[in-house]
Amino acid sequence: MTFTPKNIYLMIVLLGSILLIGDHLTSPALTDVGSPSELGNACAPCGAPCTE
Amino acid sequence: MSEALTSPKSSSASPSPRIASGFEMISLTVFIAIALVIAGLVSLDTGWTGIGLFVLGGLLGGVFLGFQYGFASAWRRALVHGEMMGISGHFLLIGLCACIFIPASLWGLDGAGSIAPVSVSLFIGAFMFGIGMQLANGCGSGVLFSFGGGSGRMIIALPFFIIGSVLGSFILPTALDWGSAGPIAIAGNFSDAPRALINLALIGLAGGGFYAIGRRRGQHLDRRLLLACVIIAILCGAVFALSGHPWGVTFGFTLWGAKLAQDLGVPVENFAFWQWPGPARALGHSLLSDVSSLMNIGMVLGAAMLASVSGQLRRQSWPSGKQLLAAAIGGILMGIGARLSFGCNIGAFLGGIASGSVHGWVWFVLAMAGSWTGVYLRPGFGLSK
Repeated sequence: MTFTPKNIYLMIVLLGSILLIGDHLTSPALTDVGSPSELGNACAPCGAPCTE
Repeated sequence: MSEALTSPKSSSASPSPRIASGFEMISLTVFIAIALVIAGLVSLDTGWTGIGLFVLGGLLGGVFLGFQYGFASAWRRALVHGEMMGISGHFLLIGLCACIFIPASLWGLDGAGSIAPVSVSLFIGAFMFGIGMQLANGCGSGVLFSFGGGSGRMIIALPFFIIGSVLGSFILPTALDWGSAGPIAIAGNFSDAPRALINLALIGLAGGGFYAIGRRRGQHLDRRLLLACVIIAILCGAVFALSGHPWGVTFGFTLWGAKLAQDLGVPVENFAFWQWPGPARALGHSLLSDVSSLMNIGMVLGAAMLASVSGQLRRQSWPSGKQLLAAAIGGILMGIGARLSFGCNIGAFLGGIASGSVHGWVWFVLAMAGSWTGVYLRPGFGLSK
């Protein structure tokens, strides 16, 4: 196993997928996908509140 | 590699489909298996909406990689060589999206555009982002689809982008206190139809201006670029229809980083950003419940599948150490910059301007100024101007 981009890349994708699936199985899930700007007094896509 | 499709020359860089074998077949099988597992998990919770957004992310990844559609190199070519057709293509894409986003109600869509504050943090963040995208050779979407394509440069840039965006989330609440004029919608007092027309006139003026300069210099709008703009606009419209928001990339990075930091024992949830209702909900739920995160995963897998069948994955090699350092610095700058300026080329530039938000125009000007600075820093890292 050499440290070529394709090998490192495949390892990262596999590790990321394991972490992702692990996160999903151990976290509550919404019944519909959401965005942070949908809640509170959001003034930006990231959910930052209006501060004027 | 996130060179934009803006000239006939770049078409030779795009992956051409061919029969794959060996490593590529194994990779493709792995990517399809991962995609099927994720689609299955998504279907259990968020149903067809979730699956639809996941697939749209995959299609966007494939289209961006297939057409080599990007922003960083098009802006660089405009700044260094005076090639304007790439930027005029960007404004064409924005104009097509604006036809959907601003008069959403006229299309029967229940959605809201990306309107964000015109703040001091926006000026600083967009300028930082512009520098970063030139050092890393890709913007938010560029880093993502090039990473999906196995780019060695982006294997370095993406994690640093994620780290930077988490740092940016820690800084943003304080940065918002530096001054803000609040969100400003262009022609915000008008109803949807005239508001759309006024914004389309402004977008047309900017895009037409770049196009006219290019034509005077003997440049042409490539047909493949036109086709890419139309396909991406249709996909962006579908994302808007399904999610109720314009497509965004960088919040997903911030969320990935915050969750990882939490796993490493960092009390992320105590920072002000993560106590705001939207980010707090995202942090407390699955990564597959957030639109941006879900679509980013789809985008990586879509690009990865195309790179597998085209042989691009096998051909990747490491850039020099200096170039990898530039990718890391660029990633950090883009991460912090994206959080301070409410997005990247997709969320702020495309989404902001196409939603009729002043912040999108400010972002464009400041990110272009940052790109100009970045272009002059590139030779120090062994990169061409």
